[in-house]
Amino acid sequence: MSLSTLTKPWEAMNYGFLDASAKRELRRKMLKAVAVPGCQMPYASREVPMARGWGTGGLQVSLTLINPQTRVKVIDQGADDSVNAASIRRFLARVSGAPTTMDTLEADLIQSRHRVPEEIMREDQVLVLQVPNPEPLRPVQPNMSIARQMHADADYGRMWLQLYEQILRSGRVMQGASYPSLVNGRHVMTPSPIPRWDVPKLNMAKHLTILSAGREKRIHAVPPFTRVEPLVFDDVPYRVEDHGGLTCIRSGATGFFMNEIPQEDGTSAYEISDSEFGVKTIRAAEGEDIRFGDTWYKDGEMPQ
Amino acid sequence: MLTTPVPNPDETLANRAFDALLWALSRPGLPRDLPTAGETAIIAALIDRECRVFSADPALIPLLAETGAEIADLPQADHVFLGALGSLAPLSQLGLGSDLYPDDGATAVIRVNLGSGDRLRLTGPGVDGALDLQIGGLPGGFWQARRERIRYPMGFDLILIDGTRVVGIPRSTSVEVL
Repeated sequence: MSLSTLTKPWEAMNYGFLDASAKRELRRKMLKAVAVPGCQMPYASREVPMARGWGTGGLQVSLTLINPQTRVKVIDQGADDSVNAASIRRFLARVSGAPTTMDTLEADLIQSRHRVPEEIMREDQVLVLQVPNPEPLRPVQPNMSIARQMHADADYGRMWLQLYEQILRSGRVMQGASYPSLVNGRHVMTPSPIPRWDVPKLNMAKHLTILSAGREKRIHAVPPFTRVEPLVFDDVPYRVEDHGGLTCIRSGATGFFMNEIPQEDGTSAYEISDSEFGVKTIRAAEGEDIRFGDTWYKDGEMPQ
Repeated sequence: MLTTPVPNPDETLANRAFDALLWALSRPGLPRDLPTAGETAIIAALIDRECRVFSADPALIPLLAETGAEIADLPQADHVFLGALGSLAPLSQLGLGSDLYPDDGATAVIRVNLGSGDRLRLTGPGVDGALDLQIGGLPGGFWQARRERIRYPMGFDLILIDGTRVVGIPRSTSVEVL
């Protein structure tokens, strides 16, 4: 045995920023997260040059999966051009040499903050969701050791009680985003703060979804063709936001999730939240030859 | 301007191997190709000094020792390389993790013959409806013993390799012998 067999050649930087042992740990945890869908797996969550809570969990997963052939798309609340999305995309490209895109159809890896794209994702695509709070039980059980025991026992009675109380007080379920959902009939997970509109897109999807919380050091996953059922009562059906009938003022797209823009006269205007889908709609209207993917929602309705 | 980063051969090997493993475990029963034949690429992608490993195949021990992993007994190991499985005995000793920490369950790598032997029907997460495939080279009663041992979410995950081909059977998959 010589010294050279014990060391590796000097490099200015690890490929993809994370060191090899950080990547191996993430790989092991990702495999376990896929093997037990919806169950939160603890991981070390290394430092990355970004503040915790700004997508470090998703970033670490992306850095582990990325190679020079991976085409990356990063979205923040549906937009490709927000500061957070643009900086993460630039960082990923800079440390990996990977090509970037804004088009959902071209992407291999989509890192997203709080939205699932409107176009149906294919089986060769991976969706990485950034998660601020991975524990769906936190509102009803702040002690995370007890919450872990409740997950182990599938003891989700308090989740139902919380929903029941909301219906009693307000007449409807008040949970707007991160709607608690039962995965594979066993673990309740938070789907990250995606709107209610996006939760049905995860149910029996063709793509793999990995949800990673960097600050909270938890990772969970929804494999393809896995049941993701929002917690609902038999007599109070699950309702998505009433955006099916709204039209985007900029692109004219109708029947997708919208951002509400308050106007000076007190009314509201609406803009499509999936910004690249809006851009494609505008360019198609201007006569360009644009390829659209099949969308999850058709005419503002999710086909059953 | 920074130069474009280029992955070194180790990184490329580990990245490709993990890509195959992640795909295989998220779509049970659908084979993927590892960058190299055998366990080498899997070890490169997953094993380091934080792991406790067991190997039934002595030929793998030098490679595992080089990663810095602790060579452990079967019940304590988190990554288990069983080679070609001769008997059902190791199955009863695989670590299952706990209900609190299902991630402590073992990952077992076994050499099999894909495309011959028992006809199996897989259902569960990652499988679109049901999927039929043939896996040979495992001792009789293997799938029955696996079913009796796994108490979901406690359990172990199988990575079955045949040359460069790899099939994943996570604990969430139910396997019916036809």
